[in-house]
Amino acid sequence: MAIYESVFIVDSLVAPNEIEAILQRLSSIITDHNGTVRKIDKWGKRRLAYEIEKKQYGYYIALEFEVDASTNLPKQLEYEFNFNDKVMRFLTYRYDKNKLRAMAKEQKETEEVTSETSSVKETENKPVAPAESAAEEKTSAEQDSPNEQTEENV
Amino acid sequence: MLRMRRKRVCQFCQTNEDHIDFKEERKLVRFLTEQGKIIPRHTSGTCAKHQRQLATAIKRARHLAIIPYVTDFTR
Repeated sequence: MAIYESVFIVDSLVAPNEIEAILQRLSSIITDHNGTVRKIDKWGKRRLAYEIEKKQYGYYIALEFEVDASTNLPKQLEYEFNFNDKVMRFLTYRYDKNKLRAMAKEQKETEEVTSETSSVKETENKPVAPAESAAEEKTSAEQDSPNEQTEENV
Repeated sequence: MLRMRRKRVCQFCQTNEDHIDFKEERKLVRFLTEQGKIIPRHTSGTCAKHQRQLATAIKRARHLAIIPYVTDFTR
């Protein structure tokens, strides 16, 4: 499975319910290809850096979705975007390894914050653990050690 | 006279960034000239790995009108 993101610009004068209709249509196309919509991010009305179709402003929407890489879904979305007159610009791209790594890092950080107290206890109780949690143990151990040292010094 | 060249360090390596996002307009603008051109590596000091990422990020941002292709000075 690959993760993609489509960012597109709709005319800023388009009514909110029409935007919803566009989003619904896109989501239905994605689900037809056995994909899942991960996130819909509306940036809102923004000033364009240069005029597009003689317009100064645009409504930005980012749609993150996951689908099997063998499907031609990006192509299908391209047809859809081209067909729709209200879409001024669009960009669909696949998350590269750098983005995925950054995402994994972010997720790990949030997990550590939420389960920090519990994971510390677990590591103390269970010295033998699967590989994934072992890596986490290492990092948490590294983080803990300077604190302990300072405490000893104090 | 040989001018002392200050060694420049890649700004992305310093902050330990994995990924350069094209949505962060302010970060990208620092690597553009006034005209909107991409500042070369030997001037900005960006490492090869991050310059490649930066270039694609800037090109994507230009396409979506987040940053301009050219800033024209009307005379």
